[in-house]
Amino acid sequence: MIDNLFGVIFSYAAFIPPGIEGTPRYGGAHFSNSSLSPQFVPVGGKSNGAALQPDPPRRDFLKLVIGAMSALVAAALAVPLIGTIIGPSFRKTGIEWTKVGDTSSLAVEEPINMKFPYKTEDAYIRETVTHSVWVVKHSTKDLTVFSPICVHLGCHFDWHPEIKEFICPCHGSVYSITGKVLGGPAPRPLDTLPWRLEESDLYVKYERFQAGIPEKIPV
Amino acid sequence: MPARITRWINERWPLDAVLRWSLVEEIPGGASYAYIFGSLVLLTFLLQIVTGVWQFLYFVPTTSRAYDSLNYLRLEVPFGWLIHGLHYWGASAMIILVGLHLSQVFIWGAYKNPRELTWVLGVIQLVLTLALGFTGPILPWDMRGYWEAEVGTSTAGTVPYLGIIAKNLLQGGAMLGQMTLSRFFFLHVAILPGLLLLSVALHLVAFRKTGISGPWKEAKRKDLGPFWPDQVYKDALMMLIIFVILVGLCAFGGTPFSGPADALETFYTPKPEWYFLFLYQTFKAFHGVFEPVGTIGIPLFVTLLLFLLPFYDRSSERSPFRRTTAMACYAVFVAWVIIFAIVGDYSKPAVVTASTTATPESGSTFSSDPSSQSTANIKQGAQLFTSLGCIGCHRVKRRGGIIGPELSAELLKGRSRQWLIIQIRDPKAHFPNSIMPSFTSITDRQLNDVVDFLLSIAQGKTASAEEKTSATPSATPSPGGPTAPLRAEVAGPRGSPGPASSVIGNADLGKYVFDQNCASCHGPQGTDKVQNPGSAAGTVPSLNPISPALFSKEAPTFTNNVDPYIQHGSRPVGPNPSLHMLPFGDDGSLTQQRIANVETYILSLNGVNRTQLIHPGLEPSYFFWLVLIVFGVALFGFRVWNGRRS
Repeated sequence: MIDNLFGVIFSYAAFIPPGIEGTPRYGGAHFSNSSLSPQFVPVGGKSNGAALQPDPPRRDFLKLVIGAMSALVAAALAVPLIGTIIGPSFRKTGIEWTKVGDTSSLAVEEPINMKFPYKTEDAYIRETVTHSVWVVKHSTKDLTVFSPICVHLGCHFDWHPEIKEFICPCHGSVYSITGKVLGGPAPRPLDTLPWRLEESDLYVKYERFQAGIPEKIPV
Repeated sequence: MPARITRWINERWPLDAVLRWSLVEEIPGGASYAYIFGSLVLLTFLLQIVTGVWQFLYFVPTTSRAYDSLNYLRLEVPFGWLIHGLHYWGASAMIILVGLHLSQVFIWGAYKNPRELTWVLGVIQLVLTLALGFTGPILPWDMRGYWEAEVGTSTAGTVPYLGIIAKNLLQGGAMLGQMTLSRFFFLHVAILPGLLLLSVALHLVAFRKTGISGPWKEAKRKDLGPFWPDQVYKDALMMLIIFVILVGLCAFGGTPFSGPADALETFYTPKPEWYFLFLYQTFKAFHGVFEPVGTIGIPLFVTLLLFLLPFYDRSSERSPFRRTTAMACYAVFVAWVIIFAIVGDYSKPAVVTASTTATPESGSTFSSDPSSQSTANIKQGAQLFTSLGCIGCHRVKRRGGIIGPELSAELLKGRSRQWLIIQIRDPKAHFPNSIMPSFTSITDRQLNDVVDFLLSIAQGKTASAEEKTSATPSATPSPGGPTAPLRAEVAGPRGSPGPASSVIGNADLGKYVFDQNCASCHGPQGTDKVQNPGSAAGTVPSLNPISPALFSKEAPTFTNNVDPYIQHGSRPVGPNPSLHMLPFGDDGSLTQQRIANVETYILSLNGVNRTQLIHPGLEPSYFFWLVLIVFGVALFGFRVWNGRRS
């Protein structure tokens, strides 16, 4: 009784004629009386013992439909599974001008490492971290701003005033005050950063570039 | 070629044997929709595992980041809303299906000899499923989760003798905190699913050993039908339908944003998930020493009753029509669960709601005898004096603003309770030209406490004002200095958005905060034009609609625009504005959680949803219709094909 009720409701709900639901013979698209009648006879035939008697075309069709339905659900589920794995992986983040500090007191042609608070938005973590840039002041209006990251493999290099060279401690890349490679494995000159001055306040767009390659490509 | 591969595998691993074991079975009476529930529970459990594991990509179980990380997943990750939504709604679906499966087995009498062990394993899985349903909602560590953890662990604490041990073990300490969240995370993602997987495996082995019991009528059991593909087809069809329903619930029902956890929040009414509401409502009937009977005794008793069922119900009769006692018990049990859940859902614990209808006369019910003032009320009033913003205008004990008169003992001398109540509720009644806002939305109780505090000043009990400084968390960072809302001489807010700006609040909770702290100047729902003499605009700015300079359709931008005002206050443009925005964040009179909530409310007043999807992948409703259409076309295609085939 309850079996039958379920059967009727769900076969209508899913557009599936009871024909493939569970009539004794595969009766095609017709709503056979037997499937609606109280004597719901399960698949396998009426005669006892003939239960697992194969009914190949109908059974094969059922298997196909099962496979297709599973594939549909799997495909629909794959959308969010893949979507969340991709997530923000290829999202470009806009880089904003960040205030680095006052340049009026800097000595001319002397690289100085300026540290500044930088607001990062790393997914759901919004923090203020400290970043630094190397600033070479040429005049009150003209500067060079270097990213502090060695273009070889991403270490932080340092300025050695006694020999007037930037030297990376990791693999010994050496750069001049203009960023030119003087020695070591560095594949390209030091990366410069976009900058602008407001009065004497320096603003930069802090960004990183791919290390280890001859071209300057933002990461 | 495939035959060669399968043969190669079969020589090394019993693939065919395992497949035969899982699929080939004769069902007495043939396949039936009555037997779908077990498979559906298994499939929803698998869905829970997949969607649960996928949330590891984003979710972090720390008290400070859990809610933010989940919101990032839901709002900013493509299809994150769907992954979390499927897990959220899938949990409910799984519990419903477990209930239906249990009911079917009970009604069919299928737990009887020789299937006792299958039943016992099933009851273990019921308990594990409910345990997962309890531990899961705690993990976001939002208001819902925080209070569920609080009430849940406290419930364990009601057990005599062992309660405190159990409570501390669950909390990982004497109080709720990071250790609590870590413990529930550990349980929810590792221990409980592991145990459930193990018991499912044992359950399936027992099920294959004894087979499906079939119809209760002996005659109907004679015909045999195959499990594969007949029964599996029915299971698969229902899986498909349930999946579509779940996607629909994700698309149109969404998942709750109950606001960041805030232990100080009193507006929030903690209630358990719907599947525990019947227990919640039952607990309420037990008080005092009988409390453990409700909290522990009844759940334990019911579980034992279920667990031991096949051992005390030993008759071999399976027809429900001849098992009237069993069916009556079942009906009572189901009625208990459903009725108590509905009552529990509608029940309202005594919530202190802001009353907007209170008139000055209603204050007359309070005693005017000053001796009745308790120190607790005065202390409470002192705190409210700060948090309601009174201190922004009125000085007390050398602290506070200078817009209104200093509330000294001399000024307040001779003022009755009744007079003060009217003054706060309706200042123009005494001074028609007063610019003091009418505090109509504070509760009578709060009003009474503030008046107690004021009367204590009048009586020279200034000690209580000193206490306030230490009792209030909102003391100014620089001790001795005034709260100084006038410190900003430039117009507009100073400083950048605070922590609250990146937190997704809850508008319903925000409304309470608004009514208490903002409505007196900005008007109920932010619409009123409250006079502000001395300002260029002449009135307090409307928040509904808000200035176009602050408005944005993008919820994060809108919030960032509004937040600095609430965090740092602002001074209106004009020669000498009488009222100015108080620095609710800087002076600590509102927690960051409350600020997040009130911002969400202000956004909602302006028609912007704080929980709007930023990177949905595909709009939820479009995704639902797409799934529905594709699935519908496919099923229709099968039908047509089936017709042609025959």
